[in-house]
Amino acid sequence: MIFQELADVIKIQEIASNTFEATLLSPKISDHSHPGQFINILPSKDWKKVMRRPMSIASQGDDHIKIIFKVVGDGTMEMQQWNIGEKVDIIGPLGNKWNHYKNTFPVLVGGGVGIAPILNLHNTLNDEDIDHILLMGARTKSEHFIEHNSSNNVYLSTDDGSYGIEGYAVKALELIESQFHNKEHITFYSCGPDLMMQSVKSFAEKLKSPCYLALETIMACGIGICQGCTVELKESSNNKLHSYRSKFALVCKDGSIFNAEDLK
Amino acid sequence: MSLHINFCGTSFSTPVLVASGTFGYGHEVSNLVDVNKLGGIVTKSVTLNPREGNPPPRIFETPSGMLNSIGLANVGVEAFCSVKIPFLDKLNTNVIINIAGSTQDEYIKTLERIEANGGNHIGYEINISCPNVKEGGMAFGVHNHVTESLTKELRKRTNRLLILKLSPNVTNIQDIAQSAEQGGADAVSAINTVVGMSININTRKPNLHTNAGGLSGPAIHPIAVANVFKIYQVVKIPIIGIGGVSNANDIIELMLAGASLVQIGTSNFANSNLGVEVCKDLTQYCQQKNIGNISDIVGKVNTY
Repeated sequence: MIFQELADVIKIQEIASNTFEATLLSPKISDHSHPGQFINILPSKDWKKVMRRPMSIASQGDDHIKIIFKVVGDGTMEMQQWNIGEKVDIIGPLGNKWNHYKNTFPVLVGGGVGIAPILNLHNTLNDEDIDHILLMGARTKSEHFIEHNSSNNVYLSTDDGSYGIEGYAVKALELIESQFHNKEHITFYSCGPDLMMQSVKSFAEKLKSPCYLALETIMACGIGICQGCTVELKESSNNKLHSYRSKFALVCKDGSIFNAEDLK
Repeated sequence: MSLHINFCGTSFSTPVLVASGTFGYGHEVSNLVDVNKLGGIVTKSVTLNPREGNPPPRIFETPSGMLNSIGLANVGVEAFCSVKIPFLDKLNTNVIINIAGSTQDEYIKTLERIEANGGNHIGYEINISCPNVKEGGMAFGVHNHVTESLTKELRKRTNRLLILKLSPNVTNIQDIAQSAEQGGADAVSAINTVVGMSININTRKPNLHTNAGGLSGPAIHPIAVANVFKIYQVVKIPIIGIGGVSNANDIIELMLAGASLVQIGTSNFANSNLGVEVCKDLTQYCQQKNIGNISDIVGKVNTY
């Protein structure tokens, strides 16, 4: 079920360099959403553009949802200026949810704007007492907002070595492989820059482990109408999509989470 | 004061419809919008065979608009008849089925299949902006003779409303509109998207996989008004105005230029309720201007 709600902005704060967390009062969407899903936002009342902005849900529950975003363009610039009590027009919950993590050893890799759905899964796994690893990558220390804590299997990396493990996330993944290589049913979950997800996918292939990627694309409607947000699938993929979408799947409706082995 | 419109003998509760490709088949938004409060819905283009569409990227936002190159991705007429029509038949609003094809024969077979299936739809909108395989890929809608011939053939096969959707990417849209009229169309709708292109200056790659695509959204509204105005001068059949509508003013402008009905397109993506919401403003306009029925303003622009 998809809802359109005028959500109250309850809280908005800069949690890291250029990274904001907004808490929205949105009872219907909160009640019906699952980790991995997203909302489509009208950034302001006088939004002059033709597209809403899709944004992953970082947490849900108690009538609230949280989103985490980096200011990268006009939409996120407007969102950054939200006032407490302002009403925001949102549609959701949209897309599929993280799945297949029961009876596995999940390895979560997030970076850039892909931190929200990964954090949501991390919190869910903690709630369900599922042992897992979280690795978050960033360019530099100021972009991180959680603590590096290897004893709790929370690893942070920075490209410039200013905090946590030095190097790209996938390099960090190689360095911490010894922490999980003997686990059974390792499963990778990732969201972030394309290059990072490609590396995670290759890493998972090397270990012959399943890998699920949450994709982010330009979207207009977010509900499968405009057919604009496509991703190309492998011809051999075993997806169960309708024949006309077996080659170009819709990120908004068939995803945003895909089995990496289905993606071209 | 009334927004009721009689269009080619069919009653429309309001002059506001939703355009093909911007509202799916109605069910996608059925819990966000009271579809039955719309004047009507025009379905996403259906083709004879399922079409996977173009590779990504397919859309790109531009100032006051968006470029798209979806490539008519759709389920094909068989699935359309078995899955989509049963839902459309339950709607209490006017349904117009949009048909596309790459040969005249494909249009004919698609329409024949739907006619054989039956349904409560009131008519067909024919997308003639598609590349015509037999004419070297030039769109059907750029040639008078092709438009007239296609219209005649489809006319023979249905008694429902036959509406030809015209492209603005032509030398003279008046000629094409007249060809549709001579071929027996009940109405024309105008305009389809305007050819446009956008390039990423860092990668030097176009922002659409097909390089160029169709521009829609508020950016093209004045182009739509101008084309509706031009068509209104030369045909007797009614016009459905389309192009960049994002509020009641835009609808009124298109009607003053000569449109009897109006479709909302791209703006549905930001607000799928717009087609219902604008009716309040349309009513207010009529009250303020002492207009008995909104159809009274059709073509009533005071030109210089």
